[in-house]
Amino acid sequence: MTPMDRRRFLKVTAITGTSAALASCGHPENQIIRFVPEEELTPGIAVWKPSVCPLCSAGCGVIARVMDGDAEVFRNGQPGVTRMGLARKLEGDPAHAVSQGRLCVRGQAALQVTYHPDRLTTPLKRTGERGSGAFQEVSWDEAIGELVSRIDALVGGGQAGAIAFLGRPRRGRRQALVAEFLRALGAPAPVSFALFDDGVARHANELSFGRYQLPTLDLARARYVMGFGADFLGTWNSPVAQNVAYGRMRQGQPGVRAKFVQVEPRVSQTGASADEWVAIRPGTEGIVALGLAHVIMREGLRPAAAAGRAGGLVDGWASGLPAFTPQEVEQRTGVKAARLERLAREFAAHGPSVAVIGGAALAHANGVVQALAVNALNALVGSVDAPGGIAFTPTEAPPARPARSLRDLLGASPQLLLLDDANPVFATPAAARVAEALRSIPFIASFGCFVDETSALADLILPDHSFLESWTESSPESGAMEAVSVTAPPAMRPLYATRAMPDVLLEVSRRLSRPLDPPLPWQTFEELLQAPPAAAPAAPTRPASAAPVGWADAQFDGDAATYPFHLLPYASQALLDGSLAHLPWLQELPDPMTTAMWSSWVEINPHTAGQLGIAQGDMVEVSSAHGAVRAPAVISPGIGPDAVAMPVGQGHETFTRYASGRGANPIRVLAPVEEPATGTLAWSATRVKLAKVSGPDGSLVLFAGATRERPDHHGRG
Amino acid sequence: MAHRWGMVVDLDRCTGCEACVTACHAENNIPTVGAAEAARGRAMHWIRVERYWEGEFPEARLTFRPVLCQQCDNAPCEAVCPTYASHQTDEGLNAQVYNRCIGTRYCANACMYNVRFFNFFHPQWEKPLQLQLNPDVSLRESGVMEKCTFCVQRIRAAKLEARAEARELVDGALQPACAQACPAGALVFGDLNDPESRVARLSESPRGTRLLEEYGAEPKITYLQRQGWHEPDIQ
Repeated sequence: MTPMDRRRFLKVTAITGTSAALASCGHPENQIIRFVPEEELTPGIAVWKPSVCPLCSAGCGVIARVMDGDAEVFRNGQPGVTRMGLARKLEGDPAHAVSQGRLCVRGQAALQVTYHPDRLTTPLKRTGERGSGAFQEVSWDEAIGELVSRIDALVGGGQAGAIAFLGRPRRGRRQALVAEFLRALGAPAPVSFALFDDGVARHANELSFGRYQLPTLDLARARYVMGFGADFLGTWNSPVAQNVAYGRMRQGQPGVRAKFVQVEPRVSQTGASADEWVAIRPGTEGIVALGLAHVIMREGLRPAAAAGRAGGLVDGWASGLPAFTPQEVEQRTGVKAARLERLAREFAAHGPSVAVIGGAALAHANGVVQALAVNALNALVGSVDAPGGIAFTPTEAPPARPARSLRDLLGASPQLLLLDDANPVFATPAAARVAEALRSIPFIASFGCFVDETSALADLILPDHSFLESWTESSPESGAMEAVSVTAPPAMRPLYATRAMPDVLLEVSRRLSRPLDPPLPWQTFEELLQAPPAAAPAAPTRPASAAPVGWADAQFDGDAATYPFHLLPYASQALLDGSLAHLPWLQELPDPMTTAMWSSWVEINPHTAGQLGIAQGDMVEVSSAHGAVRAPAVISPGIGPDAVAMPVGQGHETFTRYASGRGANPIRVLAPVEEPATGTLAWSATRVKLAKVSGPDGSLVLFAGATRERPDHHGRG
Repeated sequence: MAHRWGMVVDLDRCTGCEACVTACHAENNIPTVGAAEAARGRAMHWIRVERYWEGEFPEARLTFRPVLCQQCDNAPCEAVCPTYASHQTDEGLNAQVYNRCIGTRYCANACMYNVRFFNFFHPQWEKPLQLQLNPDVSLRESGVMEKCTFCVQRIRAAKLEARAEARELVDGALQPACAQACPAGALVFGDLNDPESRVARLSESPRGTRLLEEYGAEPKITYLQRQGWHEPDIQ
């Protein structure tokens, strides 16, 4: 044996010391949190760290400006103060093909998710009545133990099928882990829920083009853009990428400027930028599209066969859509026949031209035929997979057609619900009775960072990190011509005793009394993220059935005599579907169309308002056959006399100090009408009546900042 | 030659998305005042998006226009300030020295663009929202007027960095928070004294106008008008 001299002693201790340190990394307690190395912290020096904005499904890559600061934190269950790297500002990641160094208004405000005063800091167990908000703090060990024992009991009793998972729509490996966990448990597939979930658009794109995916819009190279209700410059699809491309379309090439026409019943923020607004009756977007196609084919500008499969899906296409003459279209949509003919000629002549449909246009029971009509119009003018048209990003992880819907989940009477940041109690019509169905589930465990209307029903809360404290991933389904895939480590250490949801699931899987078969092969989420992605880019699929689909008119709930107005809810530029109403920067953001802050409102045509004696700011009641909401009136020339519009986002009962008890939620009064093929809510299909209830109550807060005198300079050239 | 900071706002690109507004709040530690104070007209937005409706349904049209401090060469706010808190720097910035400001609000009255905001209260950030604050920007106290600075902290940092690396500033690399966020590329910032800079070239555009130019304040922000669409000749 070699004698132990000083040099050898140091060598041995160095090696064993290192392996002891490495071994401690294998300890689950240490794996959850990845500490930012202290040497990166230079006082006053900013470090930029990549992350992914989680607020919508666009998946924009961001960079966070991290600087040192003192923060009150929880470490090992103890509150204390520590000097740590703190994210101070978010910017778009210049290296990310979707965000391209830019960021939208909501992405800028995402910083406040991490520093929100009402963020959950530790696991909670319900103590009071369900929904009373009475919780007590528990340790992670106890919380996970409770969840494990509940799952064990169900699995042991042969009831694994009664375990359900409900989350917001996510893709990538976090979602793959959830699906794998449920499959190994013997539970049904996870269900995702969001109010604006675009299932109709994806479904129609699969029928027309073999892609269950939202399109990427090549606006930068388009010369003629026809929007059908799609708020692509505001809230729909991939707003940052679409705004970047739009800027280039307008002024990116000297001497070339595309035309943009927006077809919609109410001027959206996107419609405001259009060169021409075509006001139509709600739910008739597809008729306009088919009328345009009729004129293009009738005048021999394109042959019917040019539309290929997408055209073949539309009944009557091969014979030139004889039912959609300009006169017929005028009668049904309100668009003058001569105007339709002019638009059709322009659309065919000034290519590359592209039509875009989304949002409210698809939120009807006839959403799929509306989308098929616009898809066929795109195919007719050759704008599919062509420069200046629509394309489908060859992503590694394309969206999967959901196996089950929220209704399937609730209908199966689950015994245990795992809830991940979805809020169906807020975002479904009261008539759908989702809250009642959730209350009948014996045990609900929630992973969200905040208490909202749905997680308030939870029995156990296992709060997730904020995105800046987590591993993040992005493989956007749209927004870039090439596939983009980003995985980013945490930008900062967690402030509180929170844990990443995937790591909690992995720990649960290890503690189950009957081990998962097959066992999940990863110890941590980080390990999973570093495994090479399995899937190859999806090949286009061709669904078996390609029978032509006949036009169906949009149907509306409520008879026109009692309920004379269409209710047009729309995604709020600030608060989106209401999931961002907790962020004070977004609450105080003046709405671009009205300058309203901290408010709900009802947009009413001046003529209608005059007839009903309603003035700006007056409180009005909007009633459907299913309920009523009250909000102040905003008189707007951007909506027809037969419709009223309300932004979605306010009207939370329980969602932090900034959103609770503020404004009105129009979704609650909608009829629970679904688009039949996808089961998504037809949120534009409800008729309402309108009545003034009182004068202004002060709840309409307008910024209305303006220059002293309105100069004439801003006009259009 | 000294820099002369200016901006071009291309109204043909602006989509009213308001990314600039929140980007400015985050960068410049602008307090959120809450619904009650906002209803009293005390909300602070150094940059805002004005909107103008024209016409009646169904021909109604809406135009957006982002408005921020116009950084006037002949600024009316400067002439009325008794303490020289509002003054012109040698790089053409219309600066506000918070420590000199005694809250007369004369400047806000004099500014026809309504881009100056008064702190009626000591700003509060409910814990731990104070962790979002940008350490490079000082907080303003009650009784102090505040306004857009063209992100002077970013200008200073970029100049220091350029000097440390013994190089000139690169056009386009230095941007205020609003211009950096703007997805449509409607806001272009730069040195008007550099004839090769993008902002200098764009400010010569025939589409260019200045807000309320006839009052002689000589603003350094040029607005490029929205264009109309004219049917091109079909070959």
